Amino acid sequence: MKNVKNVNYWQIDNKVKNILEMKGVEVLPGELAWEKYRWVREYFVKKPKQGYFIWIKEQIDFPLLTCINILSKDIQQELNNLIVVEKNLDIRLKGTCNSLKRNLCGKHNACGKIILKENSSLKYEHIHSWNQKDVIDINYEFLLGKNSKLDYTYKIFSTPEELKIKTKVFCSENSAANLKVLGDSRNSKIKIEDRLILNGEKSSGILKLRLVGRKNSKISTDSQILAEAESKGHLDCQGLLIDKNSELSLTPELICKNKQAQVTHEASIGKISGEELYYLMSRGLNEQEAIDLIVNGFLEIK
Amino acid sequence: MLLEIENLEVEGEGKKILKGIDIEIRSGEVQALLGPNASGKSTLAQVISGNPKYEIIKGKIFFDREEITELQAEKRVKLGIALTWQNPPAIKGVKLSQLLEKISKVETEKFDIGKDLLKKEINLNFSGGERKMSELIQTISLNPKLVIFDEIDSGLDIKRLEKVAKIIKKEFIQKGVSILLITHSGEILNFLKPSLINVMVNGKIICKEKDFKKVLGVIKKYGYEKCKKCKLLAD
Repeated sequence: MKNVKNVNYWQIDNKVKNILEMKGVEVLPGELAWEKYRWVREYFVKKPKQGYFIWIKEQIDFPLLTCINILSKDIQQELNNLIVVEKNLDIRLKGTCNSLKRNLCGKHNACGKIILKENSSLKYEHIHSWNQKDVIDINYEFLLGKNSKLDYTYKIFSTPEELKIKTKVFCSENSAANLKVLGDSRNSKIKIEDRLILNGEKSSGILKLRLVGRKNSKISTDSQILAEAESKGHLDCQGLLIDKNSELSLTPELICKNKQAQVTHEASIGKISGEELYYLMSRGLNEQEAIDLIVNGFLEIK
Repeated sequence: MLLEIENLEVEGEGKKILKGIDIEIRSGEVQALLGPNASGKSTLAQVISGNPKYEIIKGKIFFDREEITELQAEKRVKLGIALTWQNPPAIKGVKLSQLLEKISKVETEKFDIGKDLLKKEINLNFSGGERKMSELIQTISLNPKLVIFDEIDSGLDIKRLEKVAKIIKKEFIQKGVSILLITHSGEILNFLKPSLINVMVNGKIICKEKDFKKVLGVIKKYGYEKCKKCKLLAD
């Protein structure tokens, strides 16, 4: 995060570094929110020890920012986050979580709930950047109210030793979710579990995964769309395997419990085409530069 | 001599494609290479540019007096060899401007051609004309000493062909860049007037002729079959 002064919630290791409140947005450590508002307790399993509570009550025309860093060795973070977007708001949020040095052996465990109330819209960019000895486990749930819209992108281009990501999205009536999970993995073991639950009439969702496995990576995904109501869903999983010591396993699953629902999927794992690689090398790029450019293009999805 | 190819024999996928090619191109010279489909023209272009898919089993390639037979493709580009592809692959998600940022040796802002292409993903859903223009922009950006144009004229109507020829004249020929024009139909030669024409049939250069109109006339009238029966056949 380049300009930390504008960060609404900033945590380094296990301490809150800064909180920036603004008109229409209440930001609290989760622990204080638990004490202050009884209603928030239904969204936490237990009283949180770390993490943020962000309650967006009025329209904000610039992105809200959160930043969670690991700076010291052998830190274990246990975050419990809650974001609530009130009715009729159109909000942008950018969340960054990273370790700031190599070999810190950090652990970042985060779970959270994101509540979008009726007619609200959230564009959320979630960026992770870790180092090789870190271990990461995140578990997020999105609850989409009637007519709400979620555009969520999770990006990780610097991967830890182990990464587990669980994402669950519940779509109520006429809500729409657009989820993207983009990862470029090196020397990493990654497990991704996504669930898109279309339980509201006329709800819709698209779940896209783009994963690149290189340098002894093992990636497995388990992505599911469950259509319980008349709804539309599409699952699009694509992988790119770069080296012979990596492994990529994509498991898309569709479950339909409503005869009016329409759910589709596509999945593929490919390799870098020799022709594309040589084309770029015939422009003067060396092999690694050409691979990086092709990978960047693969991860660039609309 | 800028490019010298000596007795080049090349295999691809276990099959002999080039069977003893000799070509010499001087600095600033425009030469053409004509031949029927599958005669080995594009293979020669790819081999000169350094495509490792092909195996050189005999012969040598020199560029600017340096032997480059085993040199990697990207190093050949740095020496000044550029190739425009006949069927360039699409690079999904990568805009032409992004590639130019990485490869360009000249100020691409000054380009007055194909500006509308810069924001598009490379060769993705390009029309035939757009593909040619994209190849030209990339090649100009490399500021080369030698350009091999592989069928730059294919699929273009006469108006577009004239436009492409004008760009080649302005950006390369007038700047003293050497050219090897690979063409099947030969129409573009009327605009660019090569000083030597090479005719390739079945992996061999069977004719070298200064008068391109004469060769074009024969090919137009009789096709490449006549060339195969030519008395001057260098076999």
